[in-house]
Amino acid sequence: MADLLSILSTGAASLAAHRAAAATASHNLENSATPGYTRQRAVLEATLPAERVSNAYIGRGVLLQGVTQARDRFLEAQIPGALGQAARSGATATALQSVSALDPEAAGGLGDALSAFYRAIRAVSQNAGDPSLRQAAVGASRTVTLAFNRTRGALEETRTGLDAKIAGAVTEVNDLARTVASLNGQIRTARASGAEPNDLLDARQKSLDRLAELTGATPVPTSEGDVSVFLPAGSPLVVNDRASTLSTASDALNGGHVALWLAPPGSAPAALGSVGGELGGHLDARDGALKTAVTGVDTLAWDLASSVNAVHQAGFGLDGSTGLALFVVGATLDGAAGRMSVSAAVLTDARRLAGAASAAALPGDAANFNALLATEQAPLSGGLDAFSTLSQVTSAFGASARTAEAIADGDGAIRDQLVTMREGTSGVSIDEELIELQKSQRAYEAVTRVIQASSDMFDTLLQLK
Amino acid sequence: MRVTDKMLFDRATRDGGRARERMEEAVAKASSGARVVHPGDDPAAAGLVTVARAQAERNDAIAEAAGRAADELNAVDGALSEVVNGLTRARELAIQLSSAGYSASQRSGGAKEVRQLLAASIASLNTRVGSRYVFGGRLDGAPPFDATGAYAGDDGVREVEIAPGVLQAANVRADVAVKGVSGGVDLLATLDALATALEANDPVAARATLDALDTGTKQLSLARTDAGIAMAAFDTSVSASRGARDEARTRASHLTDADVIDSSTELALAQRALEAVLTSTSQGFKLTLLNKLG
Repeated sequence: MADLLSILSTGAASLAAHRAAAATASHNLENSATPGYTRQRAVLEATLPAERVSNAYIGRGVLLQGVTQARDRFLEAQIPGALGQAARSGATATALQSVSALDPEAAGGLGDALSAFYRAIRAVSQNAGDPSLRQAAVGASRTVTLAFNRTRGALEETRTGLDAKIAGAVTEVNDLARTVASLNGQIRTARASGAEPNDLLDARQKSLDRLAELTGATPVPTSEGDVSVFLPAGSPLVVNDRASTLSTASDALNGGHVALWLAPPGSAPAALGSVGGELGGHLDARDGALKTAVTGVDTLAWDLASSVNAVHQAGFGLDGSTGLALFVVGATLDGAAGRMSVSAAVLTDARRLAGAASAAALPGDAANFNALLATEQAPLSGGLDAFSTLSQVTSAFGASARTAEAIADGDGAIRDQLVTMREGTSGVSIDEELIELQKSQRAYEAVTRVIQASSDMFDTLLQLK
Repeated sequence: MRVTDKMLFDRATRDGGRARERMEEAVAKASSGARVVHPGDDPAAAGLVTVARAQAERNDAIAEAAGRAADELNAVDGALSEVVNGLTRARELAIQLSSAGYSASQRSGGAKEVRQLLAASIASLNTRVGSRYVFGGRLDGAPPFDATGAYAGDDGVREVEIAPGVLQAANVRADVAVKGVSGGVDLLATLDALATALEANDPVAARATLDALDTGTKQLSLARTDAGIAMAAFDTSVSASRGARDEARTRASHLTDADVIDSSTELALAQRALEAVLTSTSQGFKLTLLNKLG
């Protein structure tokens, strides 16, 4: 039978439930600006079963059923892919946008240096014996080689810089993978006690989001409540409470740039076939447009040197020397622009600049200088002259950069939309939480009134004589 | 849709960032005047401008070279003109002093003048432009004529580019114009012969040089005509190359330079957009229960 004592005891239980609701709202408010935090909701339910008194059921107050998180599984399933794709295209676009070596407005670029070289050859062709004009032509030749060195160096530096970024990201990926594996274990233990460890779930989700951004990894929930993580090609990064280890190694087949290796727990490292996210973006930029540009500049240097040298070697210097190359680019096309230099023989003695077609007509014979001028518009290996080849390299790089930027914009918009929708579901509204807090406070006050009333009723009974 | 406070802040950050980025781009474009800074801004234009600038540079260099060649030919023409004047005076002396009635002393005086004309002609033919002896052919590092009039140059024809890949002869062959190879007369030897005849008081021998002097004068006139034609070609090249240079520069400018009106308009629009974002953001932040609840 419902007695005054039961009213007091249900009142006490109800107070605890409303205090928990207020605490949950407070927790939400305190974490309203915490990245990765998912709002929590105290679930209050009428205490069952109600007490039977005569022909009626009398309720027994309110009980805290649990504290849940507000998550939309449909959105959560889409977000890792969107994060990974946006990070990948964003990293590619940023890397390509940071390259200024091929900027058309950059002073002292390859185009300017090539123009200055042919201008100097034109000038010396009019007075082949003039020492100052010869020296100027040698200087312009040196400027061309330095421009090639600088351009290739800048492109390669960007690729090397991406190697450093990849190495840094790998360290972060390994830390995050270990964190997720550890949290899997902690969450499993916490759930064994019957409650949902919401803040641990948030911590794991935050790590999973970052892993998706870094690698394009997909989280896969398991029946035990763990989350395993798989890289785009299906390689496991985290399985239950065990994490694989990602590492980098120099790749001799790719100019010594780093390659990714993955060692699953207890297994030897193996080359990683595919990766997404920022790592994938860095690799896309490094081995895509940047590598193509480096190869283009190398090819241009190689072809130009071959074309100019073929003419130069057929001519004669003022000292009667012949057969000398003007440019030195080494034995292989790969790296030609970086190695390009003016031959030491010509650099140290401008008289060896081979402007004459015959040793018998010195110093005024400029026929070979005129032949050198003809190389300006001569087709190189790609069928285009030097300037058109440079134009093609520049345009191709620009097109890649522009495409990457457009894709990054699109992917970023999709990611922003999904993240906004997730925030709409899982984020904290200060207004809502203040209302929740007020609601809990009011309910708490009401319950204290109930307790006060039952206490008064006790006093009335005790005063009966 | 449920709206949270973080959404407001995220939107403010994102939209504010975009508006500031647009503003920065507009300012950069307006202040630098450049529309294409990175190849990604306009890949086609970034490539084409390389070619356009190379064409502008090439044509500028050709115009410069052609201008120098024309100047040099002008110096050549001046030197040949001096020699023609000397020949004309020598012819007058030959006609005058080959007549009867002149004494040996008078002919000796004439001979001295002819010797001076010969020396002056040799000096003119040893003209230099810069460090080049312009009548030396390819052997232009030393005086082509010695004091006796012997030629130390060669038969080389110097060629200068008047258009990309097109060469034009830019010198007068002294071996032809002065020394008379290929069927002409040796002008300097003729002057020497006249002087010798006058020194020997030999009017017949002096008269015998008249035909050679006439032929030599025509020979030089022909060389001057050729030089004039070449000068005209170079002058034409200068103006054509400058025109092509200017056209290429204009093309490059159209490809990469920002339109002033467009960039100013974009700057104003970007300013407005940024102001709108900042205003709406600050208004959005004001509306919260935090300020209403006691």
